[in-house]
Amino acid sequence: MTETILPILPIVWFVIIGLELALYVLLDGSNLGIGLLSLLPQKEENRSMMLHVMGPIWNANETWLLVAAGSLFGAFPLVYSIGLNALFVPAVVIAVGLIFRAASFAFYDVSEYGAFWTRAFGVGSLLVAVGHGLLFGGLLSGITIADGHFAGGPFDFITPFSLLFTIGLLSAYVVLGYSALITKLDYALQVETFPRILGAAAVTFFALLGATLVLPRMDYIFMERWTQAPTSYILYLIAGAIAAVSIVLAYNAITKKNPEQMHFFSMLIFVLGFAGMVVGIFPYIVPPAVSIFDVASPDATLKFMLYGIGPILPIVLAYNWYLHKVFGSKFNREDAGY
Amino acid sequence: MESVLMLSRIQFGATAAFHILFPMMSIGLALYLFIMEVMWLRTGNVSYYHQLRFWLKIFVLTFALGVASGFPMAFQFGMNWAAFSAFAGSFFGNILGFETTIAFTLETASLGILLFGWKYVSRTVHLIANFLVFFAASLSGFWIIAANSWMQTPMGVHAENGKVVIDNYFQAIFNPATVVTYTHTLFAAIISTLFLIAGIAAWALLKKEKTVEKTTFFLNSFKYAIAIMLIAAPLQVIVGDLIGVMVSKYQPEKFAAMELHYNTNKAGEGAPWSIVAIPNAENTGTAFEISVPNALSLITTKSLTGEVKGLNDYAPENKPSRMESILTYYSARIMILIGFLMVAVSLWALWYWRRGKLSVESIDMHPAFLRFWVLSIPLGLLAMEMGWMAREIGRQPWMIYGMLRTSNSLSSGLVDYILVTVIGAIVAIYVALLVLFIYFVRRIVEKGPDFNQTI
Repeated sequence: MTETILPILPIVWFVIIGLELALYVLLDGSNLGIGLLSLLPQKEENRSMMLHVMGPIWNANETWLLVAAGSLFGAFPLVYSIGLNALFVPAVVIAVGLIFRAASFAFYDVSEYGAFWTRAFGVGSLLVAVGHGLLFGGLLSGITIADGHFAGGPFDFITPFSLLFTIGLLSAYVVLGYSALITKLDYALQVETFPRILGAAAVTFFALLGATLVLPRMDYIFMERWTQAPTSYILYLIAGAIAAVSIVLAYNAITKKNPEQMHFFSMLIFVLGFAGMVVGIFPYIVPPAVSIFDVASPDATLKFMLYGIGPILPIVLAYNWYLHKVFGSKFNREDAGY
Repeated sequence: MESVLMLSRIQFGATAAFHILFPMMSIGLALYLFIMEVMWLRTGNVSYYHQLRFWLKIFVLTFALGVASGFPMAFQFGMNWAAFSAFAGSFFGNILGFETTIAFTLETASLGILLFGWKYVSRTVHLIANFLVFFAASLSGFWIIAANSWMQTPMGVHAENGKVVIDNYFQAIFNPATVVTYTHTLFAAIISTLFLIAGIAAWALLKKEKTVEKTTFFLNSFKYAIAIMLIAAPLQVIVGDLIGVMVSKYQPEKFAAMELHYNTNKAGEGAPWSIVAIPNAENTGTAFEISVPNALSLITTKSLTGEVKGLNDYAPENKPSRMESILTYYSARIMILIGFLMVAVSLWALWYWRRGKLSVESIDMHPAFLRFWVLSIPLGLLAMEMGWMAREIGRQPWMIYGMLRTSNSLSSGLVDYILVTVIGAIVAIYVALLVLFIYFVRRIVEKGPDFNQTI
């Protein structure tokens, strides 16, 4: 019996890209959530405050998407090509949303129609968030591949799972956005804030529960991860942890205690959910058939990229941390206009 | 198949043509801002500080639109060109990964400090951030140019089982096209932006109602732009010539198309350089041309009778089509023509400057001069677009020269009505963004610099 040795480099890159993507979802997820919030009825000055609080950091946060995409392109070119080929439409939705958002930030300060750009910012955030949901939901639903090419139709990504997942992700971003705002400023909407957080959290819960329940009906390839040891234990543990954190979060929201902890807890839920997703599909990266070992670049590329990007990532993290430190707490717009 | 191929090419061309305007202006403006901050901190002269604060407002717009329009660029390689990405991703994707991780992250983080850090960080940290914005923007450009140059003159790799395997990273990154193209593009970015700055300043100077303070400010912008241009423009002419020599050596089919040169010159005779030419219907020669004898041999080989291979020496499936040759030829011609025009306009400005006409007292007496400069605003960017058209269309029928054909690079399952919708949406959004960009730059200039801004 031959012992199979798992190649280490693809795993290293899988972990790096996973962390980059997780960081993106956490950082930009908060920004997207704030964007979604801006669409809810409220005073116009709150909307402009939302834009201002993100001014110095949204771009650096968004960059993690490009970082993850760039790493993915180099390390797993087939994932980049098959994935974006299959998920063409969600990718367009994300790109258009990002254009709207960037344009709103750029033009808001110089325009006399501020309200128009805060709306464009909200719509852009909505498009990006919906695109995220359809992209990841479509990917997790499985992609039809033949001879190493995408062999499905352009709207395969629309499945009951991906739609429920999108609704869940949208409301999860809302929770993240609210908790980020509460931490950052004395958010003036305290009256409606907490009911809305609870509502969004409830929608997240039921949508994601529904998404999980439709999986067996779709002959989901990874059902055994949920039914066989050891992955089933890990997954139930993660699910339990998510439930526990959610209860703490809900308790805080109802009693309005410890608002500064809410951002941490809601990010924790995202991290746990992300970890659960990874455990649920690893080593497959384009479900159901393609594993990271099938699609990794040659070792020479993976090594070279590691030498090039490996030492840079801690530096990038350090100056992003510096940026958040400089502008993070109670950022005062009056001091900092350009 | 044919229609989705053509639609994907149109989609890429439209996205790239629009996107590149903004990173180019960002690189040029970042350099201008850095020079202004250095001058301000060295001399303590507050007029440099006002230059910095004012042009920073326009930089914010170019940067944001560059980022916004860059996402569809990056995604397209997977969306429309999956076969290319699968074939070349191990190198091409790696380099784009370097661009985002090493360069772009640095740029966005430094930009946060440059824009909002006035009261949050020390002057030294702010200056470093300003430098890093220019450095990172240029470095970003370097990786993009390296990846594109590798598609022009692929080296240091071989294909194995339908995938690129890298043998030598140094050769692949520093392939014959990289350094000359990068230098050419960097100078193009700087010169185009200086034309933008000088032209905008001229537009502001044409306004009837303006204070002495404002006139001085925009005269300074104009003069600084001209001064930097006098260094950059002559260098660009030299680099442009090097590009021509590089293309003739490594992509002779493209070079022949760029010159609409059909028949290889016989030994002892020189190849002519045409000023205008139209190919015949069979694409075997020119139906009409006006040309300078021996000039093409001289430019290419630095000898009056050096051999320059003609298009007829290459099989039809390995060279640009008739229409592609025409586009390559005329875009290169227009680029060169604009280049000379820009030199002439700059020398005109220098002459005016030397004669003392660029002063607060006398500038109002030269409206024609100023109007000419306003009209010159798009010249640099237009030349740059033309240069890229010649480079990309002239590479056809190859996606990666000699390795992968464009027709074999496409994604599978592309549907024409989706592509038409996407192109329509992208073009509509981009046109709207361009109109808004011009509108808001106009507003910023009309409002003018804020001389009361605290330091």
